Amino acid sequence: MTDATQIPSSGAARPAGKSIITTDDRTKKRNAAEKRFRMYGIAAILAGIACLVVLLGSILMNGASAFQQTFIQVPVYLNPEAVDPNGNRDPEEMGSATTFTYKPIVVDAMAALVEERGIETEIDPGDMDALFSAAAVAQVRDRVLANPELVGETVTFNILASSRVDGYLKERVSRDSVARDSNIDAGHLDIVDELRAEGDVVKRFNWDFIFGADASESRPEQAGMGVAMLGSFFMMLVVLGLSLPIGVAASIYLEEFAPQNRLTDIIEVNISNLAAVPSIVFGILGLAVFIQFMEFPQSAPLVGGLVLTLMTLPTIIISTRAALKSVPPSIRDAALGVGASKMQSVFHHVLPLAMPGILTGTIIGLAQALGETAPLLLIGMVGYIATNYPDGVASGFLDPNSAMPAQIYEWAKRADPAYYERAWGGIIILLVFLFAMNAIAILLRRKFERRW
Amino acid sequence: MYDNRASESAVTADDIKIEAKGVNVHYGTTHAIKDVDVSILDKTVTAFIGPSGCGKSTFLRCINRMNDTIDVARVTGDIRIDGEDINDARVDPVQLRAKVGMVFQKPNPFPKSIYDNVAYGPKIHGLAKNKGDLDDIVERALRRGAIWDEVKDRLHAPGTGLSGGQQQRLCIARAVATEPEVLLMDEPCSALDPIATGQVEELIDELRRDYSVVIVTHSMQQAARVSQKTAFFHLGNLIEYGDTDEIFTNPKDPKTESYITGRIG
Ligand SMILES: Nc1ncnc2c1ncn2[C@@H]1O[C@H](COP(=O)(O)OP(=O)(O)O)[C@@H](O)[C@H]1O
Ligand SMILES: [Mg+2]
Repeated sequence: MTDATQIPSSGAARPAGKSIITTDDRTKKRNAAEKRFRMYGIAAILAGIACLVVLLGSILMNGASAFQQTFIQVPVYLNPEAVDPNGNRDPEEMGSATTFTYKPIVVDAMAALVEERGIETEIDPGDMDALFSAAAVAQVRDRVLANPELVGETVTFNILASSRVDGYLKERVSRDSVARDSNIDAGHLDIVDELRAEGDVVKRFNWDFIFGADASESRPEQAGMGVAMLGSFFMMLVVLGLSLPIGVAASIYLEEFAPQNRLTDIIEVNISNLAAVPSIVFGILGLAVFIQFMEFPQSAPLVGGLVLTLMTLPTIIISTRAALKSVPPSIRDAALGVGASKMQSVFHHVLPLAMPGILTGTIIGLAQALGETAPLLLIGMVGYIATNYPDGVASGFLDPNSAMPAQIYEWAKRADPAYYERAWGGIIILLVFLFAMNAIAILLRRKFERRW
Repeated sequence: MYDNRASESAVTADDIKIEAKGVNVHYGTTHAIKDVDVSILDKTVTAFIGPSGCGKSTFLRCINRMNDTIDVARVTGDIRIDGEDINDARVDPVQLRAKVGMVFQKPNPFPKSIYDNVAYGPKIHGLAKNKGDLDDIVERALRRGAIWDEVKDRLHAPGTGLSGGQQQRLCIARAVATEPEVLLMDEPCSALDPIATGQVEELIDELRRDYSVVIVTHSMQQAARVSQKTAFFHLGNLIEYGDTDEIFTNPKDPKTESYITGRIG
């Protein structure tokens, strides 16, 4: 033992003994292997990070532009003869004037603007409608019906530009592509260039993309996520309200009360298997049971929520049971030892300790459900054009609606490339929700985490 | 079992707190306790000794029916506390465990404050009418647990933040807070250092004035120091039971002798 401490100084002088200064071949080999293994690990992580960066980068690059929209600032003369033929400013009677009546008014206003700016163009004044969205006409009409006193005045509107003009500002539409496009001519683009220089055409942040409703196939510039977001929200309420209590109760029973026998073994195996069942299977089950048999309304967030609850339950049960299992048995003994009943020991001691795990599992289950598309396909929540906001809690659950991922899928399917951009934008919104939910999971975990 | 009869004759029937007859415990196919008869006295410390795996803990857990919580365990035989059969269908194990407190091998305070640890039992058994009552109960229990002076200034600090020995005394305070009549301790000092062990042993000697204490220990010195009665278990059998002095100085059974002289263990 004493000469062991002298080895460093006399290592070289002692050829008989083994020096620990010079590494032998075995050690070298082992160290090399360890180093190699570390390199593999680092390489794997770097590859993962690179993929993530590429993914997020491409999502941001493709989707960020969806949050901006092109608007045209145009003074519109609200001709009383057209919009209020009876001349009494009664919104009810004025309502009989449809968008067909209003369209020429906006077209004329555009033509007037072009003339006022002194822009030379071969475009017929009647063809100015290619510049603005069909939604713009409704926009003007709605404003007039809401404020009848505006009739007869010239009011400046910020109207939505057409998707081609918007695409031109976002460099999606070029003069080459316009040559093959019957909706718009190169002459229109010249007008846009000039109006842009004058500051009449601007691209700015579009809240309507986040909070607005979906629009028809031909009006991508108007489409937004808002209604689908509400659909997802009501579905998540159903999922949370059902799967958390049912999942936690089932887990507590299985983990703390159920006898260990054949039957509980079978149940256990089946729950694990259910977690791996493809979600579309739950979708067809929902179609058969909830819609065809129980005759719940189609496309309703209630049904979507029920289907997603079935899908989320195994996830919640598995994570809750893991959380319950990780509570040391000594805590249960301690509670029983002072005369607590089984239920008291579970609710006073075990459950609070398992809470962080249960909440994390629940939020991850919810996040999964939020992004799930396939089962919604089968119960008709895809393809439904979500243009109406629900007008109450009941209609939020029962009226047909879409959901965020279904809306994204729907947009991606539509032919107009302007919708492609919106699909990416929708993905960004969905990801923001998922990140937020994960952040909440982490915060709750921190808050509830205690040592023992 | 003749020693058993001998000890029974040595005390008056009034002093018997726990009486076990023909107790057998099976864990599935393992026969862990074989036909044990024993009478445990009130206001006495009784030590269970024996090589590990001989069934000391198992027998101890029969006394407050903690074996109920183990699916595979099957207990038969007759155990009476104050003449009442604890396995009677009418007995609620929850009430039994309020009467028979237990301290475990590893200190296991709840991950709550020191105060809440002690107050929990009285709360669920409705022993305190109001906050003042509860405060008194907690203080009394902590004094009984010989830990009051160390924690009186931090009653709302977490119980898990105490040292091992303090935690174990907190657990003892928690056990006595429900006013039990019997205190079961399963190797309460095996996770403690010698100083903490000394403190807990002193405490056990104190507790003897009010309770019937049953302590499992693998340390024969500890059994000799704290107990008046000793039971020696071997392979699930109760080999010998009698006064501690007798067992250690003059064991009747050769197995006991070889164990206490260190030849089996
Ligand atoms: N939960 C259990 N399940 C199955 N067998 C057990 C269990 N607890 C104890 N045993 C068995 O019972 C016997 C006695 O154990 P125990 O009472 O813990 O011994 P001791 O406390 O004297 O060391 C041992 O053979 C042990 O393997
Ligand atoms: Mg033991």
